[in-house]
Amino acid sequence: MGVVRWPGQALAGLGMILLMNGLPASCWAQTHVPPAAFKGPPPVRFGQPEAADFEAKNFVADSGAAAVVLCDYGTSRFASPGGEMCVIHERVVRLKILKKAGYDYATVEVPLYHRDENKEKLSNLRGFTYVRGADGKILRTKLDDAGVFVEKRTDRVNVQKFTLPAVQEGAVVEYAYTITSSMLSDYPGWTFQRDIPTRWSEYRFSYPMPYRYKMLYHGYVPLATSEESTGSVALILTRRAEFGAGAGIDVGSTGVSMTTEQHRLIVRNAPAVRAEPYITTPDDYLTRITCELAGIQWPEEQYRDLADSWPKKNGLLLKHEEFGLVLNHAGFLADVVRPAVQANPDPAARAAAVRALVLQAVKYDGSPRLLTSGSLKHTWEQRRGNSADVNLLLVAALRQAGLVAQPLLLSTRAHGYVSQEYPLLDQFNYVLAAVELPGGHDLLLDATEPLLTADALPLRCLNKIGHTVPAEGEGRWVSLAPSLRYTHYQEVKMTLDAQGGLTSQAREDFGGYAGLAAREKLAQLGEKKFAAELASEHPSWEMPSYQLSGTTNLGQPLSISYTLRQPAETATTAEELYVKPLATFSEDSNPFQLAERSFPVDFGMLRQEVISLTLTLPAGYTAELPKPTTLALPDQGGRYVYAASSPAPGTVQLLSRLTLDKPVYSAQEYHALRELYRQMLAKQAEALVIKKAGS
Amino acid sequence: MLYLFFTTLTLLAPPAPKYPADAIAPALRENAHAVVRAYDEKVVVKSASQLVKTVHKVVTVLDESGSDDYGMLALDYSSLRHISYLRGAVYNAQGQLLHQLRPSEIHDQGMGSNSFMDDLRTRYADLRQPTTPYTVEFDYEIVSENTLFYPDWQPQDAENLALEGATLQVTMPTALPLRYQEQLLPAGAASAPVATGNQTTYRWQLPAAPALEREPLAPPLDELLPAVHLAPATFEVQGHAGSLASWQSLGQWVYQLGQGRDALPPALTAKMAQLITVAPDPRERARKVYEFLQGSTRYVSVQLGLGGWQTASATAVATGGYGDCKALSNYTCALLKAAGLPPAYVALVGAGEGASDVRADFPSSQFNHAILCMPLAAHGTIPADTLWLECTSQTDAFGYMGAFTGNRHALLLTPEGGRLVATPRYGAQANRQQRRTDLWLNTEGGAKATVRTQRLGLAQDTYAQLLHNADPEQQKKYVSSRLRLSHFTITSLRLANAPTPALPGVVETMGLELASIGTAAGRRILLEPNLLGRLGALPAQVGPRLTPLALPPASLYQDTVRLHLPAGFRAENLPQPTQLTSAYGTYSSTCTTLADGTLQYVRLLETRRPSGTTLPAAKYSEYQDFRRKISQADNAQVVLVKTDA
Repeated sequence: MGVVRWPGQALAGLGMILLMNGLPASCWAQTHVPPAAFKGPPPVRFGQPEAADFEAKNFVADSGAAAVVLCDYGTSRFASPGGEMCVIHERVVRLKILKKAGYDYATVEVPLYHRDENKEKLSNLRGFTYVRGADGKILRTKLDDAGVFVEKRTDRVNVQKFTLPAVQEGAVVEYAYTITSSMLSDYPGWTFQRDIPTRWSEYRFSYPMPYRYKMLYHGYVPLATSEESTGSVALILTRRAEFGAGAGIDVGSTGVSMTTEQHRLIVRNAPAVRAEPYITTPDDYLTRITCELAGIQWPEEQYRDLADSWPKKNGLLLKHEEFGLVLNHAGFLADVVRPAVQANPDPAARAAAVRALVLQAVKYDGSPRLLTSGSLKHTWEQRRGNSADVNLLLVAALRQAGLVAQPLLLSTRAHGYVSQEYPLLDQFNYVLAAVELPGGHDLLLDATEPLLTADALPLRCLNKIGHTVPAEGEGRWVSLAPSLRYTHYQEVKMTLDAQGGLTSQAREDFGGYAGLAAREKLAQLGEKKFAAELASEHPSWEMPSYQLSGTTNLGQPLSISYTLRQPAETATTAEELYVKPLATFSEDSNPFQLAERSFPVDFGMLRQEVISLTLTLPAGYTAELPKPTTLALPDQGGRYVYAASSPAPGTVQLLSRLTLDKPVYSAQEYHALRELYRQMLAKQAEALVIKKAGS
Repeated sequence: MLYLFFTTLTLLAPPAPKYPADAIAPALRENAHAVVRAYDEKVVVKSASQLVKTVHKVVTVLDESGSDDYGMLALDYSSLRHISYLRGAVYNAQGQLLHQLRPSEIHDQGMGSNSFMDDLRTRYADLRQPTTPYTVEFDYEIVSENTLFYPDWQPQDAENLALEGATLQVTMPTALPLRYQEQLLPAGAASAPVATGNQTTYRWQLPAAPALEREPLAPPLDELLPAVHLAPATFEVQGHAGSLASWQSLGQWVYQLGQGRDALPPALTAKMAQLITVAPDPRERARKVYEFLQGSTRYVSVQLGLGGWQTASATAVATGGYGDCKALSNYTCALLKAAGLPPAYVALVGAGEGASDVRADFPSSQFNHAILCMPLAAHGTIPADTLWLECTSQTDAFGYMGAFTGNRHALLLTPEGGRLVATPRYGAQANRQQRRTDLWLNTEGGAKATVRTQRLGLAQDTYAQLLHNADPEQQKKYVSSRLRLSHFTITSLRLANAPTPALPGVVETMGLELASIGTAAGRRILLEPNLLGRLGALPAQVGPRLTPLALPPASLYQDTVRLHLPAGFRAENLPQPTQLTSAYGTYSSTCTTLADGTLQYVRLLETRRPSGTTLPAAKYSEYQDFRRKISQADNAQVVLVKTDA
């Protein structure tokens, strides 16, 4: 775990990609083998707790944890109950509750999805709580009906909830259930890691050779075991009449036996994973595998390649009624965009004008989605939609305006990183518009964030890379790294009087993403509270006046000018004064408080923070100039510059400039970054010694 | 021809604009994200067991910040509360219809993980628009079979929300009197009740009112805005009839719902009975029972129909080892009884840190939580006492009511009915934080520090949570986030239980490394000896203070800092001692040189909450002044100088 890598690199480094391709076209087995013949005994036997799990000495190393997963064991296989093909997923979980804070792990929620005829069904739910009594005997309490509840959460999701009885510190809780799913394209994946330590997590799965699944490994904990073998499965499938009046009627059953490909994956001793500041999502750091149906190969039939390549994936999306097909019904936009077309011969300006039209017409409802909720016309009439509704409307409008625009798929920061190696659609949850400008330059457009200019993407989209969906061909990866930076510029004219009183005229410019943050705050708080909050950042100073500008022009930084005053404490003239001019305008504390960090620092964009301050001394006083400093991060990662000069007698000019030139810093770079901030704060807190001439 | 012409004209005539935004008076736009154009509520009480509420609500959203709160509407419903209809429409700034809400656009969903088991669901409609201003209009009707609760009417219930006007009309069978309490209503808001046939109708209306902004240290907003609180005189829920004539009758109703649910399994009764010999002292015995409860049960929320008020049986808790607040309190009550202790009573309370207290002069269902109360008679030299127990926590100290349930009213459920009593309140001496810091400076301007902080009473609430519910890594993160230091590394951190006989306590011991402390200025180092104890500044006040002042509970902060200087440094200048006294508390700080050259800084702050829960707005500047003087004194500097040696 010591070395943290990007998931993509981790993949390459560990060589753990499980690709199930290139199987022989015909793979029928001749012998019958019992179903689910996974080799090897299961790692946990339900109902048979182990004595070692009640010995405190076995949990000394976990003293910090509220609970520990002793074993999480899952299997997935194909079966045919009732004559229909389905996937059966069985799971047994055994946990040790170490502290009262771990009681929540004895309450479990299992989401079950359903859509049209396809559904997931949970059955065979059972559970026990084991406690060792004073006499050394193990007491068991069974999960009963009182502890089981189903919540119909939304139209598509029911949540099976259960809570285990008689839980106390030191208890071992255990539960098991079976999920039968007719959604063959969503083969269950497996997450080996959680927010509590996991001793043993094992997943065994198999599928008949005609089905081809792609598995993708993510995370940082290596697999302790990865075995592959072949087995077989016997299925009895109901035949239905295909034609005529009796179409769909059951006309008998066919027994088939198929060779299966079997996998067994084990992760041992996976540590707990938790969120840290400046990360995308903790899920990016969980060790897990995800599965997607790639194709189906029935004997003597043509291979049905479902998702094998980018052209296939794109074709699938373009024919999807909630993606590509909606783009074909956008004629109603022709009249809407006409004025923008006529007014803007330049493609970039035209694109921006079309985006502005969409922003005005449709509101983003806050749901990041890859697929639309309905037709573009519906979105237009309802004046509101999810990110796919809004941005596919934008793509269609751009096309109506005569521009070459394509959808661009991405994964939001909260949704996690995407791997560039495999065309798995589940990786994406958001879509933008990519406009090809003459000269091959891409213009990425998003119409969900009214407080940003056309050339900037919302923060949620700043997640490295996206993939285009062209009408033909495989598309390409496009960088999402923004050219727009986070810039905070402060210019201060400060005057010191001989008693030690200070008066400052300050101007702060919030540019780029800092401008977005400031405008969001301004919209939320209103001018008065916005100014009050700014004043609160300068305790012990009075702010008699302020003025905002650039509030409406998004292309300009949001700017606030204000006066700050700190009257002298005494009326006596001082011989010697200590003044910390920059301290008032700097950050209070290092944003990187923790000494260690295991994940990269992902700002998403480049940053610059500048304070330029001119201090006018009282007549007859001089200042000792502080030493200048330049600090650089390794690998051209950024720098901090501090300079002091005296451009004229009685005047001191101070410059503090922080430049961060990477959107993402690796965990190895964390110490350097933290140290840079520390030294910057120390320089900004330095006092000038100001003396009366001749004293 | 003429006829046709006329018809055509009629068809073409545009509908009259509804609620155009420019009709809003400028005074109502000030500080407002949205304006309630109309809020007309009709409540019809059909019988003691059924109530129908109809609402017509029109809100103009002025800016994007008002969109999420007012452009959408969510209605909760349950097995006892049904939504008859929900209609909606949205208009542009000119008042022209943009869109009529379709039934297919109304979403329905469960409440998620808030509760393990409940029948509460929500229906919501989203009419948010891409450009502001716009106006939403909602009409809905709710039929309630839970007449224990009558609706509260507060048309203006949030900050940055102005009101153009609102009406309330309540129609009752004359045989069923309405009980109501008016809060901060302007003159003329109420009309005299009108009786027609066997019905009586009550009416209220509110005139236009500008938007209010929340200010620091203010009481909850719902106490500052006009409202009419409604309650039944008599009610009936699922066949259980009751009266709200008094706290006594409400308590009686709830008590009876729970009656006969206190049987324990015989083995458990016997186990509790054994405690009589093990712990003869009643208080000690109660402690043993509470420890047993905390060690063998946990809280799981269940809210199903009448189950929201009716406890699960003690047997069910004994078997499953879990329950909600009512079930665990009822179970504990049974345990205490089995242990031969004097009767204990379940008590209903409005729980939550900073929650408004019960309106004691208006008996009605104002509670959301249950606790346990056991009066202990005097015996021997030990005076009479009242023991309060929080039965849903596995870690709370025995007999302690912290910020969640303390210092407010609770309704005791006794066989004789309800009785409103006060829960414990802790004074400054009880809410205490004592800290000792040792700082070893080095010649480079850095330092190492050891810090020992003991917190008692309300001061320990958060740290007790941290101690019990967070792992070491999370504890470190939290403690780091509270330190007002520019750059530091926590080298060690330990939290431990350290109660006094009367109060829960947590002690925190911490090692710190500070790369640079204070400010280098030539040969001098300036540093603030009050390293960790600085009281944060109040948020800046822009404009006059409008709302009353609600101060936090009285507390005591004691800080002792020892500054150990490296060789080659001496103190050149020490801050003057400070002594402050005001109605809001006392403050003192001194800095002295000890015999061995070590500097000792001692700071004492005792905050006071003058009688009554709130103070008039006019007192704010006085309070501000006290806080400003503390801030100044807290930042006093020591000047160290390098000796030439």
